Amino acid sequence: MLPHVDYVRAEGVAHALALLDRHGAGARLLAGGTDLLVDLRERRSAPALLVDISELDELAAIRAEDGALHIGAGVTVAALREDATVQAEFPALAEAARWFADYLTRNKATLGGNLANASPGADFLVPLLALDAAVTIAAAAGDRTVPLDQFLLGPRQTALGRGELLREVVLPRSAPAGQAYEKLGLKHGGAIAVVSCAVVMDVRAGRGARVRIVLGAAAPRPFRARAAEERLEGQPLSAERAEQAAALAAGAAQPISDVRGSAEYRRAMVQALVRRGIDAAQAAAVRS
Amino acid sequence: MKDLTASEFAMVGTRAPRRDARDKIHGITRYADDFSLGGMLYAKVVRSTRASARLVRVDTSKAAALPGVRCIMTAADVPHNVLFTDVPGQTTVVGALRARTQVLAADRVRYFGEPIALIAADTEEIAEQARGLVEIEYEDLPGVFDPVEAMHPEAPQLEETGNVISRWRVRQGDVDAGFAAADVIVEHTYQTPFIDHAFIEPEIGVGWLDEDGVITIRVATQVIEHFRDVANVLGLPHSKVRLIAPFIGGGFGGKEDVTVEVYIGLLVWKTGRPVRLLYTREESIITPTKRHPFRMRYKHGVRKDGTITAIEAEFISDAGAYAYLSPLVLLYAMVHSSGPYRCANVKVDGTAVLTNNTPTSAFRGFGSAQPAFGYESQMDACARAISMDPLAFRERNYVCKGESLPCGQPVDHAVLLTETARRAWEALGPSCAAPPGKRLGRGIASTLTSFGRIVWLHDWSAAWVELQMDGTIMVRIGVPDLGGGQASSLVQITAEIFRIPMSSITIHIGDSSLTPLAGTTTATRQLYMSGSAVHKAGMELRAGLLEQASSVLGVPAAALTMDGGAVVQVDGAKRISFQELAASCSRSGRERYRHSVFHAPAGKVMDFETGQGRVFPDLTFGSQAVEVEVDEATGAVRVTKLATCYDVGRVINRNSVEGQMEGGAAMGLGYALTEEDILEQGVPRTPNLMTYLIPTALDVPDITTIVLESGEGSGPWGARGIGEPAMVPTAPAIANAVYDAVGVRLTQLPLTPERVWRAMRDAAP
Amino acid sequence: MSASRMEERVSQRTISFTLNGQPMRLEINPHETLLHVLRERAAAAEVKSGCERGDCGACAVLVDGRGVNSCLTLAVQVDGKAVTTVRGLGTPDAPHPLQAAFLEQGAAQCGFCIPGMLVTLQAFLSERPAPTRAEIREAIAGNLCRCTGYHKILDAAETAARQMRAVQA
Repeated sequence: MLPHVDYVRAEGVAHALALLDRHGAGARLLAGGTDLLVDLRERRSAPALLVDISELDELAAIRAEDGALHIGAGVTVAALREDATVQAEFPALAEAARWFADYLTRNKATLGGNLANASPGADFLVPLLALDAAVTIAAAAGDRTVPLDQFLLGPRQTALGRGELLREVVLPRSAPAGQAYEKLGLKHGGAIAVVSCAVVMDVRAGRGARVRIVLGAAAPRPFRARAAEERLEGQPLSAERAEQAAALAAGAAQPISDVRGSAEYRRAMVQALVRRGIDAAQAAAVRS
Repeated sequence: MKDLTASEFAMVGTRAPRRDARDKIHGITRYADDFSLGGMLYAKVVRSTRASARLVRVDTSKAAALPGVRCIMTAADVPHNVLFTDVPGQTTVVGALRARTQVLAADRVRYFGEPIALIAADTEEIAEQARGLVEIEYEDLPGVFDPVEAMHPEAPQLEETGNVISRWRVRQGDVDAGFAAADVIVEHTYQTPFIDHAFIEPEIGVGWLDEDGVITIRVATQVIEHFRDVANVLGLPHSKVRLIAPFIGGGFGGKEDVTVEVYIGLLVWKTGRPVRLLYTREESIITPTKRHPFRMRYKHGVRKDGTITAIEAEFISDAGAYAYLSPLVLLYAMVHSSGPYRCANVKVDGTAVLTNNTPTSAFRGFGSAQPAFGYESQMDACARAISMDPLAFRERNYVCKGESLPCGQPVDHAVLLTETARRAWEALGPSCAAPPGKRLGRGIASTLTSFGRIVWLHDWSAAWVELQMDGTIMVRIGVPDLGGGQASSLVQITAEIFRIPMSSITIHIGDSSLTPLAGTTTATRQLYMSGSAVHKAGMELRAGLLEQASSVLGVPAAALTMDGGAVVQVDGAKRISFQELAASCSRSGRERYRHSVFHAPAGKVMDFETGQGRVFPDLTFGSQAVEVEVDEATGAVRVTKLATCYDVGRVINRNSVEGQMEGGAAMGLGYALTEEDILEQGVPRTPNLMTYLIPTALDVPDITTIVLESGEGSGPWGARGIGEPAMVPTAPAIANAVYDAVGVRLTQLPLTPERVWRAMRDAAP
Repeated sequence: MSASRMEERVSQRTISFTLNGQPMRLEINPHETLLHVLRERAAAAEVKSGCERGDCGACAVLVDGRGVNSCLTLAVQVDGKAVTTVRGLGTPDAPHPLQAAFLEQGAAQCGFCIPGMLVTLQAFLSERPAPTRAEIREAIAGNLCRCTGYHKILDAAETAARQMRAVQA
């Protein structure tokens, strides 16, 4: 049972922004609803007004433009999962979409919702940070684009200001070919990540290049393990070096203990997953 | 009266579509929540937010003042604020127990979520809002959350009589001599978790005041006999409460104890209005009952030739805050403690202890599932300790027909364990190479599980079978159908007896006032007990109808049989349709119906000091074999192959038997790998299906299901029960496979990735 | 704020949609879930409530042909759309191939998950008529079943998919 709340179906982004502006903090955007309505039911969120943006075609498109792939915030995970460009050029993202929740949830949940919720283990923040994604934020005053890393301020905190909405994710199409997304869950269907990681890299003359290693559910927010990246960046790649990088990633993690696992285990799993991710990304880079 | 024989069967053993399936597949079935009445009130339960506290003040005035709230009840408003579970005798150390639960907490709460007040309102929303307005002041009391700590005399006591509520023992031979004769001794301590039944339909019921003051409650229950409990609480004559069990959305033991029906009864009684009470998923998980966590120390002595010389075991069971069926679950565990193996020297001690955790009680496998994890892990460890093949070691020790278990439980019927184990093992097929970073392993477990109630409880089931005037058949029997096909199997048995299509038979089930009482749908007893009752009534009616036909047709009854809705002459032309026969019966005053009672063979009470004697009417034996893939880096376990093989005595419905075996294995897989109700200081931390993880379609592999029919069993035509037995071997088989894969014995369920990873790390040189 | 004051502020509204092809017009409150409205106002008790938070799939329905959890859909959101429940797939006299296969192969036990399971499979098979068994597993991973172990459900889904393809061909 949900608490009482008012509802407006937005006719367009501009209308949604106007509603947000008018209702202030009492308004929440409703996209897929797969997180928000659970939060309402469990009284973690008590908005007075839901602004439904799930019908907005302008947020639901994936288009290539100016050397970047623009993925609308309203694109469902199901659509993301099936997109040919995403599959071909951003396999780390496609993999995250593949194992996101379950079929019924993927039909509703949106990419933008996952990012704007900014949970510590958010499935899409991890590969997108590794892919140097930016996001475009729409506001009455005009759009602005910020790097995803700056968009994400902390656990469940983003740079979205009052009266703003997430319009799209912008992915440079020059992404390295070596990409991997690794997620450890407690079951195979619909699992929440115990920890996850994305590794993105090129291999040039046997050396790592443009290396990104991002960890999920390993700290209050997904983050780049920069020390681990540096261990590979411009360096000759080897199993030993991969292991060192994985250990550095584990060292950078600040995991918690909860019902899904202890901090100690999470830290060890960061190392295991990063190691696996490096190997997979390196293999993919070499193949291409 | 001559029974039908297997060679004559036309219906029994087939895959006839279940009678209830069509409605379920078309969304027509009315489950308990799919039923409403005009003027119905919506109920909510106000629950404790403390695991152990004194109730200083419960103020319902603000809630009562909310418009739309029609009734609020607290303990003071309950005529008899106690529910009893009678537990027959135990060892003299503890004595017989009248297990009691307060309906609503009077002055003390003993677990998180314990009911304190009931609210009925015009809408669910108002009831929910009122729940938030009830003011409760607590004075925290020290709690105890570990059964071993709770056994300490200084521990906080839940009851004046102490925390230990049950002790049982088994004594046979001389274990000291047995261990002295052993070449190898294997000893481990095993732990199993709280788990949730996690039926997809939460607890739910709708009640109303019917004519003549009969409180009628349509409720998702395994036990319509709880009408007596509701009446006792209300102080009403038993005949003034009627429970109806519609088709149930899963039970597994979780709808065996009283759930919502007593609260609905109270609110209907108080308001005179129809009342609906549906638990949320969270309530379903945090409220009673759960499966008992067991701590089990097992010590086996074995000789190098594979003889088991002694078994010593000690069980400590966490009963939670109230006894419920804990003493009985523990008794079952005692009988099952050695597994399906013979051993001359056995000593087992079991203790059930109250704690401030969620109360535990019945769960599929009722006391047979926890020991199976212990003894089958032990069997695997013993085999390895003497370098014997695990299958060969088991085969050497399987109990045989005509022998007794170490507790004196006789084994009356065929034991096909060797065949079940070999067939399950072979079904895994040739091994493949493990993928990089993974290790493959295989494991097996053979187990036994009783079916039918304890013999000194004098179990019975009654059935009514009637030939209608139009030649169709009606069956009436008070069986709740939980989804196992209980009702449909009775129809199939009836169809066999009268040789008519299942579509010509209508069955009315699950009504405590209008159908003959058949006993509970628990203890894997319905096919055995109610199948036998329907078989008895049906065969008696058949004999009477053949006699009637004999007099009408002038043909000896022995020369008559039934076929296609008629009595027909064997090798002859004479026939009389059921419709004509019914008319003939009416004209001549012959009854067209039979009401028959099937009594299970009764036995005398076991010896409580030694645990020796017959406890159960019969046993089901089977084996499961699994292959697992263990991730070397993460400890994650995936079951890649699973084969299950049982001797079910006689198949009534092949799809239903396989369905039980497959579903049981899947539930066992969850028990093995993912399921655990995590409680921290008594507070449930996994209160939804995002954190309490039951297997999905991605977690359960394809299952090879092998059904054997020895023709021997206490049920109709030699059938045995399969519902509970089906889930018992899975967890130890998986644990044994994990050992095979990584060389580490995991002794605590579930085998989470973290536990497996830790075990591998700790074992690493 | 009391419930009555909230109700004043939050406007009731009328939604129109089709339920299994039948036009529906209902007065609803915007906070009401589609699950609630279908069960309590639209006599669609075949839509089951198992968790109310999108974990179990028992309440799955099709909205314009897409499988979704009706507990995480607001009723107001289906204004102008087509909602299909298991009753919209077929009837006992004219069952959908999935329903026929589920019946024949004994895929339903307690049956509580089945309405959600069937509509989910219908949606999935319309997107992917020739799936592998592994893909079917992925499709129903959000539909929890506690009785069957999924084996006969997968068998029945494969049988139905073959039959549906044969009819298409």
